[in-house]
Amino acid sequence: MRHCDLLKGWLLPVLLALAWTAVAAEKQEGTLVVALGTLGAQSMDPIQETRSPHAHYHAPMYDALVGFNFENGGKGPGVAERWELAKDGLSWTFHIRKGLKWHNGDPLTAHDVKFSFERTMSKESIASNKAALRRDVKRIEVVDDYTLQIYTNGVQVHFAEGLSRATYQVGQLMPKKYIETVGAEEFRKKPIGSGPWKFVKSVPGDRIEYEAVDYPHWRGTPHFKRLTLLLVPEESTRVAMVRTGEAAIAEISPESIKEVKAAKLKVISVPGTMQAIYQMYGLYLPESQKNPLADKRVREALSLAIDRQQIIDHVMYGEASWPLPFDIYQYSSDTDIERWRKWSREAFRYDPKRAKQLLAEAGYPNGFELKFANTAMAGTPFMVPIGLAVADFWNRLGVKVKYTHYEWGSFAPLLLGEQKQLVGVVSMYRTAGRPVAAPRFYGAFHSKGAHHLLGRGNDCPDLCKTFDELHKAVTVEQDAVQRAEKTNRMIELASDAWVAVPIIEGMGYWAVNPKKVGAFKAIPGRHEFGDVFERMPRPEEKRWQ
Amino acid sequence: MRRYILRRLLQGLVLLVLVATIVFFLGRLTGNPVDLMLPEDATQEDREALIETLGLGGPLHQQFGMFLAKALRGDLGDSIRHREPAVKVFFSRLPNTLKIVPGTMILALILAIPLGILSALYRGGIIDKIAGAIGVLGIATPNFWLGILLIYVFSVQLGWLPSARMGGPQHYILPTITLGTFLVAGFMRLIRSSMLDVLDSEFVKLARIKGLSETIVVWKHCLRNALIPVLSLWGVLMGALVTGAIVTETVFAWPGIGRLTYEAVIFRDYPLLQAVIILDAVLIVFINLVVDILYAYVDPRIRVAE
Repeated sequence: MRHCDLLKGWLLPVLLALAWTAVAAEKQEGTLVVALGTLGAQSMDPIQETRSPHAHYHAPMYDALVGFNFENGGKGPGVAERWELAKDGLSWTFHIRKGLKWHNGDPLTAHDVKFSFERTMSKESIASNKAALRRDVKRIEVVDDYTLQIYTNGVQVHFAEGLSRATYQVGQLMPKKYIETVGAEEFRKKPIGSGPWKFVKSVPGDRIEYEAVDYPHWRGTPHFKRLTLLLVPEESTRVAMVRTGEAAIAEISPESIKEVKAAKLKVISVPGTMQAIYQMYGLYLPESQKNPLADKRVREALSLAIDRQQIIDHVMYGEASWPLPFDIYQYSSDTDIERWRKWSREAFRYDPKRAKQLLAEAGYPNGFELKFANTAMAGTPFMVPIGLAVADFWNRLGVKVKYTHYEWGSFAPLLLGEQKQLVGVVSMYRTAGRPVAAPRFYGAFHSKGAHHLLGRGNDCPDLCKTFDELHKAVTVEQDAVQRAEKTNRMIELASDAWVAVPIIEGMGYWAVNPKKVGAFKAIPGRHEFGDVFERMPRPEEKRWQ
Repeated sequence: MRRYILRRLLQGLVLLVLVATIVFFLGRLTGNPVDLMLPEDATQEDREALIETLGLGGPLHQQFGMFLAKALRGDLGDSIRHREPAVKVFFSRLPNTLKIVPGTMILALILAIPLGILSALYRGGIIDKIAGAIGVLGIATPNFWLGILLIYVFSVQLGWLPSARMGGPQHYILPTITLGTFLVAGFMRLIRSSMLDVLDSEFVKLARIKGLSETIVVWKHCLRNALIPVLSLWGVLMGALVTGAIVTETVFAWPGIGRLTYEAVIFRDYPLLQAVIILDAVLIVFINLVVDILYAYVDPRIRVAE
């Protein structure tokens, strides 16, 4: 990937889109009201927010250097229309679109981009991409107003993906001149960005209001004049608001789908936003070798005992998909998706007979006692009923499940700390949909990763060492074909270990009132609509089928 | 009287220190915000860096010492999540909660006083039985469910009222009813039992012997005396309304103190949680002090006993 000539095949649609949005801009009217379960910290300064809620409320007004592939998910052109990796692999050059401006009219240049990344990496920042940028970036140089060169610490072949909101959902680019002039405090009160929506007002704990820009925007010029994001924590209330028309769109969970459909509202299910998985801890330790889970046949048997289709149909009300391997989605880069689709159909099948046979072969014909920690991370409460269903399937296999439920805030320290209380335990977990698998594989399987499921420090057996080497090889391989081959080997190795096993591929769910907003499409893998609001037509412009 | 007030103030101060200590240590037992803030692929180094940025490093006793020293200067720290002084965040949400409290109290008293009196006067009769049923229903109905039910009927089906959020006068109706139902039941039962006690007392019998009309006996002599225990309950419930409207505020998307407390717990935002609970405690101590003073004025026996 020495050259990313992303303009090929894009030029005509982009020109057409610009022409169309110029016309649309003249007709902006009405308010698009969206009810959300959380607005996170509700800070309009991108460096003051850490997790995904900011994808709802930063994305409308801030741009990212690398954008989306709106059709398939993953990265696409952003403020940078194209980018290249240097021949030595140690720097990336980004070519910035000309004619972009901040909401106060100042031009957006490479100086702003450099300032934004440096601000994100600063000590006061708690942005979600801060750590990754600090690890990867050596220095940033402005070549000219529209060209930026970023030198990385070693070869970083996935660096560009990491700058897309497909990976970290931050409001990335901030106005250098404005912030330096008015100061950070004033910027937080009166923020400006370069996105298609201008900030109007933020009422803590209640709402954020925006106004559409009145000029053609490269992301799409908004069809509505105003956008209001409401904080409505209770899901029943959000659904009621969509039913009454007080909101056009609301975030929902699978439990509400039936009610929403019965009320003749639309349900949007965004594919590939997450995988619900279970994973096992500390099985590489000497003291775990007598644990039945240390035997790979037992681990495989546990997967074969789960009827995933039943979970999809009855726990997720049909609004979930058969999973691909761990952290692999239809839009994953460097991956042979067809191969893994076939593999997962076979490997994740429901086969209780074979499961019992494997248990018997491993020496546990009458089952064993298994400690299971059920928990759900923020935004995915449906993981709890999935965990209950999984425990039930294992009980049916003959395994005696010792079940404990954890609120996520109390489980996270056990997982991210020494993991002493989790040795030999199976827990629920999830992977968030991202285009590049390597960083998530690092977190789960690498000996220095947060979860280190294959080994850690001195307790790093052969499988752990092989994984570490393979992961390193993937992240520095500049040849796309070679990288894909190594990525597939990495997936193979992790899948065959059966220590982190997908249960279902989840979606992002939304209730939509068709009388309040026209037909639109979500970005695959991106639950939040922060980058979609400007593409949403008014109801009279594009009716729902 | 002055000694009485001074003693109550000192008791309140001791209580606040105790609350602050308990909240500080208990809050940290169930996890920390760092683990909730980091992305899934964060490393141990990332974790340590964030701990340093948030100022959460150092041993617990050292952190507690710093917290106490700052608290004495009125600084309860910055909210980890909002990146603003926790006291400022608290006071930005307090007015929203206070907006629904008066309506709720008025609704509760308007309904509870006549119902309580009538059920005492017609003890065992049909009115008493209906009032008893209302009381049981009011206490037993979870306000979470009641709120959703009211939204379904009055917003979704009838379209008369907005589903949620702050706004014009019509926005106050459903949250007030939801929050007030429990209070109506509580006040009504208390007024009924107080009235029954008073109706049976010697001075009421004397008033009747003296030939006073039943209206004057009931509304002037009985009710005034029956309201004394209600005043105590009013103080307790007033505090509970301000701090405990979590469910109502969540159902109706009302950005008040209750929801702020819930968010601080879920996010392990220690400074905010500490500030909210300490300031709530200050508020409750203050309300109870006012009630105690009023109580002492209303009932001279208390002053005499002191």
